[in-house]
Amino acid sequence: MQLIHSIQSEWLKTRRSLAAWLVIIGGFFIPGLQLIGRCVHHQQLGARMDDPRYWETFAGNNWQIMSLFLLPMGVVLAASLITQLEYRNNTWKQVHTTPQAFSTIFVSKLSVILTMMLQFMLLFNLGMFLAGILPSLLFSDVDLPKEKFPLRFFWDTSYNFFICSLPVIALQYLISLQFRNFMIPLGLGLGLVIAALIGAEWKHGYWIPYAYTPYNFFIMRGIKMQATQAVNIHHWALGYTLVFIVLAYILYIFKRDKG
Amino acid sequence: MSCIEINQLSHHYSRAEQVLKEVSLKVPEGSIYGFLGPNGAGKTTTLRLILGLLRQQSGEIKILGKPFAPHREALLSKIGSLIENPSVYAQLTAMENLKVWQKVYQCPSTRIEEVLDLVGLGHTGKKKAGQFSLGMKQRLGLAAALLHQPSILILDEPTNGLDPGGIVEMRELLKTLNRELGISILVSSHLLSEVEKLATHVGIIHLGQMLFEGTLDELKKRQQQSSGIQFDTGDGAKALQIIQSQHAAAKLENGQVSVPIHDRALIAELNRQLVQAGIPVYQIQAAQNDLETIFMNLIK
Ligand SMILES: Nc1ncnc2c1ncn2[C@@H]1O[C@H](COP(=O)(O)OP(=O)(O)O)[C@@H](O)[C@H]1O
Ligand SMILES: [Mg+2]
Repeated sequence: MQLIHSIQSEWLKTRRSLAAWLVIIGGFFIPGLQLIGRCVHHQQLGARMDDPRYWETFAGNNWQIMSLFLLPMGVVLAASLITQLEYRNNTWKQVHTTPQAFSTIFVSKLSVILTMMLQFMLLFNLGMFLAGILPSLLFSDVDLPKEKFPLRFFWDTSYNFFICSLPVIALQYLISLQFRNFMIPLGLGLGLVIAALIGAEWKHGYWIPYAYTPYNFFIMRGIKMQATQAVNIHHWALGYTLVFIVLAYILYIFKRDKG
Repeated sequence: MSCIEINQLSHHYSRAEQVLKEVSLKVPEGSIYGFLGPNGAGKTTTLRLILGLLRQQSGEIKILGKPFAPHREALLSKIGSLIENPSVYAQLTAMENLKVWQKVYQCPSTRIEEVLDLVGLGHTGKKKAGQFSLGMKQRLGLAAALLHQPSILILDEPTNGLDPGGIVEMRELLKTLNRELGISILVSSHLLSEVEKLATHVGIIHLGQMLFEGTLDELKKRQQQSSGIQFDTGDGAKALQIIQSQHAAAKLENGQVSVPIHDRALIAELNRQLVQAGIPVYQIQAAQNDLETIFMNLIK
């Protein structure tokens, strides 16, 4: 019960926060650009509407930039900002003198980050749906897509990307709980995202915990990579997540200075 | 009974420097305990240790008769605290800030308006706490500390950033809370004048060591013993001779003679004798009575 109240409290803190804006902007940014592009060039859309894999192709285009860079970077930022909120406002000391167990605080903050991730997924999917269908409603020369909306495909894709983002969330959470200086989680996050892009072709690239969202995209597009054929990246992502979360918890509990 | 009791508490942030040296203190229930010391004395460190914000290294901390660590959550539910710079979520309004804490404490949401009115922030409406003045943030911090109707308040220099009017208001508010609700208050300050007007009990800390602990009256007695009148004259040595012949406790300090007397007639008489002896008297003043002097006297 305390946990639910604690999560509610944590959720209130995200109001008007940078992280909350990031979720909304991040969710609609790429679909928004797609929509604008399609509205401007709506004459060329006609033929595409007949494509039997219209939605899969369109989602693939959206996920491309998202999965390679924006999603991991957005997760780095949002996960770090949530804990940064307490450092910047000098509120850790107030949080840590409320009558709740440290483990409750740890779990509720993590829950809020995960909820924001779900929120992002929801908005991104909604954005893709709208960007896919709106040109047909706005312009008489664009028919409705022939293909029925593949709900299952969108669900599975989001689910897989969600799993692949978990190690990023967990490690950023670990680091940002430990350091007051925001540049540390941010720098580390950016470094690992870039390392993941550079290392993607390496046959042991699956060792890089931030590489799974790009890998998931390659799998989605049917691009064969040595790393993705060698192991099940989703299992690796979950394994890393578990290790990072346990480590984050231990380090948090044993932190000498609690604000 | 004491609501907070500390025994032999020592602390170091780094190996090099012992910040607290076997600090012991007792905050009696129902008291307003002024925890006095200059900047860097170790006040904040002590208060953070009491609240479990720092890992305890040695000694003993008891709150309401129970050791803190094993009863952390139960004890924290009875404590309201305000440590160092105010804790406010800058992008939230005063009301929203308190809502954050109300959810955790699960106190009635009507308390939010009550405490906002109590600290004089009832009118801030949609204004974000980030735009508050330091004094307003401090009041919001106090409102948060009072939200769950604690029986103990731990306040670290709560008048920091308040204007003179605000300082008086804060003092009156604390006194009212203490008198009418029986809340025990541990409040730190680096200003003796502030503690004098507020506290019933005083603990003085300097360089991590407790120098004095007792009631305000006991402190005042000590203070009087150490205070008196200073004569600034043209010939300190000769003046001392004359004054010492009647008041053996007279001392020469920085060329001035200080005597622990308060009687106005006596002062005039001494002055007359000095002038008669041909010693020019430039100034007669009450000896300095500030915190520094008291520290100096306590250290001696
Ligand atoms: N986080 C910290 N790390 C290292 N030294 C600290 C820290 N906080 C305080 N100190 C040192 O401990 C001493 C006591 O500080 P503090 O408890 O803040 O004093 P006060 O609150 O009485 O001004 C000071 O010398 C200060 O420099
Ligand atoms: Mg201090």
